[in-house]
Amino acid sequence: MPSVEFQGKNFDIDEDGFLQRFEDWCPEWVDYVKDSEGIKDLTDEHNKVIEFLQDYYKKNGIAPMVRILSKVTGYKLKHIYELFPSGPGKGACKMAGLPKPTGCV
Amino acid sequence: MAFVSSGYNPDKPMSDRISDIGPRNYEEFLPPVIKKNFGKWLYHEIIEPGVLMHKAESGDEVYTVRAGTARLVTTSYIREACAIAKEYCGGHLRWTTRNNVEFMVESLEDAKKLKETLNAKTFPGGSHMFPVGGTGASISNIVHTQGWVHCHTPATDASGTVKVIMDELFEEFTSMKMPAILRIAVACCLNMCGACHCSDLAVVGYHRKPPMVDNAYLDNLCEIPLAIASCPTGALKPSKMELPDGKTVKTIAVNNDRCMYCGNCYTMCPSLPLADQEGDGIVLMVGGKVSNRISNPKFSKVAVAFIPNEPPRWPTLAKVTRKIVETYAAEAKKYERLGDWAERIGWERFFEKCELEFTHHLIDDFRDPAYFTWRQTTNFKF
Repeated sequence: MPSVEFQGKNFDIDEDGFLQRFEDWCPEWVDYVKDSEGIKDLTDEHNKVIEFLQDYYKKNGIAPMVRILSKVTGYKLKHIYELFPSGPGKGACKMAGLPKPTGCV
Repeated sequence: MAFVSSGYNPDKPMSDRISDIGPRNYEEFLPPVIKKNFGKWLYHEIIEPGVLMHKAESGDEVYTVRAGTARLVTTSYIREACAIAKEYCGGHLRWTTRNNVEFMVESLEDAKKLKETLNAKTFPGGSHMFPVGGTGASISNIVHTQGWVHCHTPATDASGTVKVIMDELFEEFTSMKMPAILRIAVACCLNMCGACHCSDLAVVGYHRKPPMVDNAYLDNLCEIPLAIASCPTGALKPSKMELPDGKTVKTIAVNNDRCMYCGNCYTMCPSLPLADQEGDGIVLMVGGKVSNRISNPKFSKVAVAFIPNEPPRWPTLAKVTRKIVETYAAEAKKYERLGDWAERIGWERFFEKCELEFTHHLIDDFRDPAYFTWRQTTNFKF
């Protein structure tokens, strides 16, 4: 299992760069991932999405459906893509430390 | 090779980014004769196996030569096809919905010459590169999936099994002696990507063992509720367990008595792998069709519950397929698809004539609709 070191923290990740354990998440992880996800500066909007994804995951054990993410944050899918160019799955969920999306993706 | 940039700037990923342009318009690639007569075709004929002629209102004719491909092909193979198209067809060619390749020319002599050229091309191992055929009442190409080449959920291989069956039935690809078309499809797991559920003959990869549960990692890698909800028989439930190191983790408990090894949970959760060398194999289904010619479209039905995986040549699979195809070819009436034939003579006769064993696995037991597949009449043959 590859692991990366960033600002004194160690992260176990898989080949797609998703965190292996949700508990390992910390604010440094977001800083580490944002470059590979094409994000220059983190805004409050980014944090709002990440925070909601984490709350939803802790409460329900799954990532929210895209329509729930849109409805709760108030961001249309287009805006979510503007915030996270790789999209809500590969971009936002990865930064939030959620497990990798599965199924026929 | 060292890195060569395409001009993409990783520091500014969104600059000069082109998106949402869709596929190229098909009209850009039409041969002139097709473009000219678009929507004005009068009739068509099958001149000989693999060669079609379409007549237009203007009197124009276009001859199509159809050749088989392996679907999984290299760029050199595509270049080879392009070279042929350049030499004979003004650089035009097309691929069919069963992944055959079609070359179009404007005279019968050209078509005959093209057929000769195509049939003469072979790989170093001796296989035909572009065998001409697949028209009319024949066995055309096999619609298939990824198998062990690329997928992570297969129970069998696609390219391998397809090559075995097409080798076995090659004669039927290059001739038109069947009562009607016989469509064959291969899918490597019950996800059935492609056409297995609606083909005359379908090969489907099948597991026979429940998933293994990787308790230590499951909660980290999976969204547990998704795995639970992915099970069609409710065999999974959330549970907690203590690992040897004393740590308590959330995980999933599998009720093996309810599991029918569909593998859906593995699709959703990487910690539930179930592929198994001895357990995995093939289910053979028969009698599906998509056209509404005479009878309505039909689903294919399970005819053989299990054929073991026998790479690289799958001899049992080849033998059983040939038996079914030969029996159908000998017994069915003209225009009768395999499903039409089996329903006319009755499935008890189908099993008898094809010398297939009828096992309890073939009796539907999935939810309420299973009842409608049982026989609620005294009409049957001894």
